[in-house]
Amino acid sequence: MDRLYGAHLGAVRQLEGMELGHDIDEIQSARGRASKDDSLPLVSLQNASLGYDSEPVLQNVDLTIYAGDLIGLAGPNGSGKTTLFRAILGLLPILSGALSRNCPLSNFGYVPQSAALDPQFPLSTAEVVEMGAYGRVRSYKFFPTEERKQIGKVLDQVGLRHLAGRSFFSLSGGQKQRILIARALMVKPKIMILDEPLSGVDEDSRKSISELLVRLARQNGLAIFFSSHDIPMVRRVADRLLRVDEGRIWWEKKGVELHS
Amino acid sequence: MVGEERSGTSFVSTFLEILSPSYLLFPALLGTAILGLVCPLIGSYLILRRTVFLGLTLPQIAAAGVSFTFWLQQTGFLPQWQQGERGIGMIGSLLFTFLGMGLLGYLEQRRKGIAEGRLAAAYALAGALTILFIVFNPAGQIEVLNLLKGEVIGLSKGELRLLATVFGLVLVGMLLFRREFLLTSFDRDLAFLLKGQQIIWDVLLYLLAGVSIAFGVIMAGPLLLFGFLVLPALAARPLVNNMSSFLWLSSILGLAMALFGFYSSVRLDLPLGPTDVTLGCCLIFLAYALRRISPKRALGLIVLSSFAVWTYGCGTSTAPLPEAKALNNQTLWVAKVKNSTGLSLLLPATNPLRSLAEMAGKISSDYRQSVMDLLRDDLRRELEQRGFRVTLPEQTDARFPAFPADPGNAVRLAREGNLSGLIFVSEIWRWEADSRQFVRVFADFKIVRTDDGSVLWERRIQRAVSTPSATNLGQAYTDSVKEVVRDLFAG
Repeated sequence: MDRLYGAHLGAVRQLEGMELGHDIDEIQSARGRASKDDSLPLVSLQNASLGYDSEPVLQNVDLTIYAGDLIGLAGPNGSGKTTLFRAILGLLPILSGALSRNCPLSNFGYVPQSAALDPQFPLSTAEVVEMGAYGRVRSYKFFPTEERKQIGKVLDQVGLRHLAGRSFFSLSGGQKQRILIARALMVKPKIMILDEPLSGVDEDSRKSISELLVRLARQNGLAIFFSSHDIPMVRRVADRLLRVDEGRIWWEKKGVELHS
Repeated sequence: MVGEERSGTSFVSTFLEILSPSYLLFPALLGTAILGLVCPLIGSYLILRRTVFLGLTLPQIAAAGVSFTFWLQQTGFLPQWQQGERGIGMIGSLLFTFLGMGLLGYLEQRRKGIAEGRLAAAYALAGALTILFIVFNPAGQIEVLNLLKGEVIGLSKGELRLLATVFGLVLVGMLLFRREFLLTSFDRDLAFLLKGQQIIWDVLLYLLAGVSIAFGVIMAGPLLLFGFLVLPALAARPLVNNMSSFLWLSSILGLAMALFGFYSSVRLDLPLGPTDVTLGCCLIFLAYALRRISPKRALGLIVLSSFAVWTYGCGTSTAPLPEAKALNNQTLWVAKVKNSTGLSLLLPATNPLRSLAEMAGKISSDYRQSVMDLLRDDLRRELEQRGFRVTLPEQTDARFPAFPADPGNAVRLAREGNLSGLIFVSEIWRWEADSRQFVRVFADFKIVRTDDGSVLWERRIQRAVSTPSATNLGQAYTDSVKEVVRDLFAG
């Protein structure tokens, strides 16, 4: 059933790509990926309605995310970006429509806004990153040496190994975001969802985080779905841009806006 | 008020004596140490989750449960239980704690009102109910009040075993699931992704907190328990920048608070709960002060202070009683023992007819011996055996009163009565027989030279004297007097 559904969604996506006028190279790369990954999208939302307490915030949402996708979600504050993320992550039940995930939730690397985390907690950066492995390590076991090595590796990936012993909340906004990305990488994810990773950070950090996201999508084949209210910046970084505003969601391609 | 102290004994020797398993109140010390070690681990999470008021409210709810069950027992709804006061209190404490947690959790889910408001209202209600149930139960008022004050001092070995078992399990739970507790406390979204429904971990954490609070209240009282829950963690917070250090430092500070609080209570004759809590607050101020200086300087300061305390503590020692020959066989006037307790300290009458006559006002109570009489007799006998030329002031003038321990006043009295040589003065500040087989003693003893008012020898006895074989108050007083005199001249 899943295979049939996946094949169907793969076809839908190819059609979607053509409708949206994606570059031929990208479609080809998508084809190559489709043959490699059975064409199964990691996440698929169909005609979904999302919101809180039966009050829809977003309606008629159709979205598929494949491995290697680098998708930006842009829209003003309060437009429903976080609602969409929370629904994908299973933190918020969808009001109607269909949502399917082709990997377990423990394969989702989630990067929340660093401001949402409580600075009351005395946490070193290494401890924050370590949390990403908690899904794999049994309660009664000591933290394995391999996982400790993995902490070093992911910190290397974000270029902040030297800050492993520092207090997490003493870091700059950009450093905190990169540490949270390292934590998401520690999960060994197939897809990463980043909520406003570029807000509240300086220009240098924006650049380094953007490069990191592109590198993770290109080199590691991770699906990356991130949000920002800075539309020009998202256009620069993302392969595809999803716009959200006033309860609606639509794809945008280089100035051409199409309703999904 | 707990323990034992002798004036002049060093900090180190008294401290080591307290830590000795043969120490009379060792079970109480161990119980306090267990609470000090484990409670901060739970309190750390309450603080980090910003639910610290839960740590204040739940002990008060547990206390309401204790007084409620005692009231039920007094009215006959509950049978008398062989396990004793604490057993019945524990049931009420557990019941109310979990009912309270359930109700607060339900209201939290329903989002009725603001969280702090709910906790404040619950605290006020629990406090009011505690007092009302005590008022309804005049028969057991003192016992209930003692339990709520947290008489850790009265911990029996059986109760200590229970405490160790319960808190041992809590400790294991806190260590075993530390990762889950941290994750659900810090980032609930990630916890959901990695571990599924975080409600399991919330319930488990609050279950461990509830069990600790319910048992802790009955063993130590709400004040001491709340102190152990939050104060060490608050003191540890400014000193660390990672979670594992935070947890172990909280525990260590809790243990230090328990040990030094116990020591201070012994040394200064203060109630244990308020002493511990005051010490815990001092630790918080100290921690914030230390944070202002560099870690190296802070460490140096701690090492230096510890060394100074150790050196000073080892430097003072108990002066032995001088030899009679060294005092040129001067006359030693053993004055009447001054009773400054405000209590009569009379031994109960042994003759029932005389008791009835005394109650009817036919005869006075003067015929009965007092602790002061017993003490002076024993002192006199002991001093004579040591070769002192002992004389009683009444032998020269029967109107001589008891001499105070204050050398100035003692010498003034002696000079007014034309006494010359040396006076042995004794003053009792406390001599209380506890229902749990020991007598709390606080008394001063001095040998003063009448010529110049100089103090040749002095000793303070401040201890809980064990009277295990005593079957009544008179026997407890007699046994404690013998023990005190033995202790006074020992070494």
